[in-house]
Formats: sequence, structure tokens, C-alpha cells
Amino acid sequence: MATPAFTFTPSTFQKLHPAEFFRRFTTEGVRPDGRLLDSFRPTTVHHGVISTANGSAMVRIGGTTVVCGVKAEVAEPRLDAPDQGYLVPNVELSPMCSSKFRPGPPSEQAQAVSEAINRVLKESKVLDLKDLCIEEGKAVWVLYVDAVCVAYDGNIYDAALAAIMAALNNGTIKVSGGTAANDENSFKLKLARTPLSATFAIFDTTLTILADPNVTEETISDGQISITLDETGLLCGVTKIGAASCSQRVLKDCVQSAKKRTLQLRGIMNQL
Amino acid sequence: MSRLDRTRTSAHQLRPFFSSQNLLNRADGSAQFDFGESSVMCSVVGPSEVKLRDEKLDKATIEVVVRPLVGLPGIKDKAREQAIRETLEPLVLSGLHPRTGIQIVVQTMKDDGCILATAFNATILALLDAGIPLKSILGAVTCIVDNNSNEILLDPTTEELANAKSTHTFVFDNKSSITSKEEQQESVDVATLYSDSTGLFSEEEYFECAQICYKAVQAVHGFIRTAVQKKLEKEYQQIHS
Repeated sequence: MATPAFTFTPSTFQKLHPAEFFRRFTTEGVRPDGRLLDSFRPTTVHHGVISTANGSAMVRIGGTTVVCGVKAEVAEPRLDAPDQGYLVPNVELSPMCSSKFRPGPPSEQAQAVSEAINRVLKESKVLDLKDLCIEEGKAVWVLYVDAVCVAYDGNIYDAALAAIMAALNNGTIKVSGGTAANDENSFKLKLARTPLSATFAIFDTTLTILADPNVTEETISDGQISITLDETGLLCGVTKIGAASCSQRVLKDCVQSAKKRTLQLRGIMNQL
Repeated sequence: MSRLDRTRTSAHQLRPFFSSQNLLNRADGSAQFDFGESSVMCSVVGPSEVKLRDEKLDKATIEVVVRPLVGLPGIKDKAREQAIRETLEPLVLSGLHPRTGIQIVVQTMKDDGCILATAFNATILALLDAGIPLKSILGAVTCIVDNNSNEILLDPTTEELANAKSTHTFVFDNKSSITSKEEQQESVDVATLYSDSTGLFSEEEYFECAQICYKAVQAVHGFIRTAVQKKLEKEYQQIHS
């Protein structure tokens, strides 16, 4: 009996041909980490994790952890919008969370995620910026929303958006500084809607759709679809990026799957 | 119905296209693309030497730099860089030029809305001008859903964008359009290369926008084809005269 020329252990095979290794799993309808193609990783949300922030939350999606803090400061309004405050979201991907990121100025990915979240918050009118006005033309609240990734294992957009929305929902602004929180002197942020997202990776020419990709799946994928929805099922953003062209049927399936996922995520977020 | 810019009569009308290739002397390829009063200039240098850190053993490294109309590039431009690079990377046959770099610089010249779509079209023309081997060409179009009339307006101006309930940018390649043209169906299953939508919109609105943009992109593809054809004719005449 002829023996094959080369034999690999599974871990060697994975290192040499990550995509082929992955394909062996997807053709059987599972992924190397044991998930089905359409299943999301276990998700947890913790509210109020930073006591010094005005609002905070920590979100975990599988191995990805994002901590978000909201800090309110007083600033002068812009001349063209004297009665509106600011909302400044920022996502940080430091070398602490993964060896993929180098120290120094924010990476392109970090900036792209920040911009995507900024646009969702602004364009889908999550917060009425007029609520942040203290005195027209003189002083307004500026909300610094900082999301820091402490562990990176893919799908940063979903995790960061969920953390930011949970932190904003949790946010209270104390009008008078110094003494303990007094109900008359503080107000909760009023959010018009809570957009949450679901991300899918497109793998291979067969257009296999993988829900909630982890970092290895992200590196071998040929594109990503992110769908952001609010609680009424209205879309707040759709982004499709990458090599594989995807048909409308695929996009429709993703929207359906995203509806289920965001509903589940909302359930997790509302548990206190 | 008249549009806000008063030059167009229908909601599904695009602004007049304009393009010009080979404008820059020192670049390997360059092009300008206009949608009405929006104009983007793009230059391509490559395949050329690449920084050792960015070198890829089996393919060319594509670098995209987006410059805004005024001021320094911000996070918005970084996000655009990522969008353009990730959409172009699969289109360029980068395996033919391993261990080299292709640098693409996108500069906004005039801004009257739809800059991302204009940039995509300028980039593909510049790549064609530079003679970079491509798998297919792409075309991009933006549309909005109007806040008051709920109507889908193609290729909006800045004025119309301020009134938008949602904004959608789509990129389609000409590969998928050839196969679906044969089918001649009313609602073809279009293959989206890049899609970016913000604002508030329903699922139906999104897919309707995709269909409308898909039809509009056919005109862009046709225009790019004619532009390249004319340029080649001119070059041929110059060589043989």
C-alpha cells in the first residue's frame, strides 16, 4: 500500500493552508471553533463598569472585548449650530488588544470603525444634539464616547457599536459638579433609538456567509457585510466591502439574520 | 418634476459626466472624473518600488491616499481610503506584479455631493490610463431618499444631500452586468461590489435603491468604455501620423 508523500498534523495544515483548512470545515457546515455558519459567538453586556465616567459599558462577543466610557464636558458651541452639543465617538485599537496593531497614531481600521459609528450616530439621529444645549451660543455639553478594545478577536464594529449604545443608554449628566448625585441636578441621556449591528464575512467563491467572524475568519474572508438596525426594524446602515460581489438574495438573507441577531442582542442588553 | 439644481427634469437623471485622462505628466496614469459640479482627480504610480515593510511576496501592494478639498485628511478620508482600496484590490490583477507597489492618489477638486462615487469612477479611469491589468471595471453612483417626498433621487447635489433621509452609494462591476443583461428581467439579481448606506431606511427602500443605481451604473460603464475608446483612437492616430 502506497503511503502519501506528505502527512500533516491538523495544526500544521492550518498554518500552511488556512483557507483550505477552513474550507474543509465549511463544506460540512461547521467552523473550526465548533460554531455553525450562521451562529454568533456568546455575548455579554455589563453596564456601568467605570464609576468615574458619566456612562459606561463593557461588551464581550466571544474573544472580543470592548470597554466604552462616556465623559461629558462643557464646551463652546459651533457658530453655525449655536444650540447643539457635540458627540465625539472614538474607537481605539491599541497594541494591547492584538499583535495586529502597532503603537502610534490610530490605524486605518480604527479610524474607519470610528467614522462608521460616527455616521450611524449622526445620520440616524440617535441623540437630539439640542438636548445637550446649556445656554444657546455660550455653552453646550460635549460627549466624548471612547471605546477601547481590550481583546481583539474580530468583529470590532458590532462590539464597539453595542458598547457605545449601552454606555449612552447608561449615561447620566450631573449638572452641578462636586457633591453626590442629586436627581434634580442630573439628567439621563434621551436616545431616540438604539442601533445595533450584525456583521457577516463572505468566504470563498461559493459565497459562504459566516456570521460574526473571528480574527482568523476575517483574514481569510473575501468581504464583509455589516447591517445596522434599530429597535423597530428600520435599517440605520448597510455596508458591503471587499472582493466578492454578493447578490441581492444574499443581502436579503443577511438582513433577515441581522434582524434576529439584533433582537437577541437587545435582550442581552436590557438584562440588568 | 424639477430637481433642486434646476438642470435636471427627472429624479432618476444623472448629472452630465465629464472625464479626461492623462492630465499629469509625472504620473504613470491619471484621470479626472466629473459628475456635474463634483470633480475628482486621480493619479496612479506603479508598478514601482515598495517599502520593504509593505512588500508582498506574491502580489502588488495597493496604496490609496485620499486628499480632501480643503485642509488635512481626517478620519472621513481614511475611511474612504479603506473603501476604495478594498474594492480595487480584487479588481487589479496584482499577482502579475509581485513585490511592487501601486500608489493611487485621489484628490477632490470640486465638491457638489457624491464625492465617493466620483472618486471610484476617477480611480478606475486612472488605472486604465496607467495600463494596470484589471479583471473588470467598475462604476459607482449615489442616490438618496428625499426627506419630504420620499422619492429616490439619483446623483444628488450638496443641496439635495442636506435634505436626505438616507444616502446610498453603490459600486457594480461590468462583469456581473454582462451576464444579467442577457436575462432581460425586470428585476435582475444584481451583484453588488461595494455598498454603503446611512440614514434611516426600510429594507424595501434599500433594495429599490440598489436596482435604480444598478440601472444608472450601466450608463457610467458605457461612458468609461467610450472614454477609453476615444483615448486609444487618438493615441493610434498620433503614432501613425
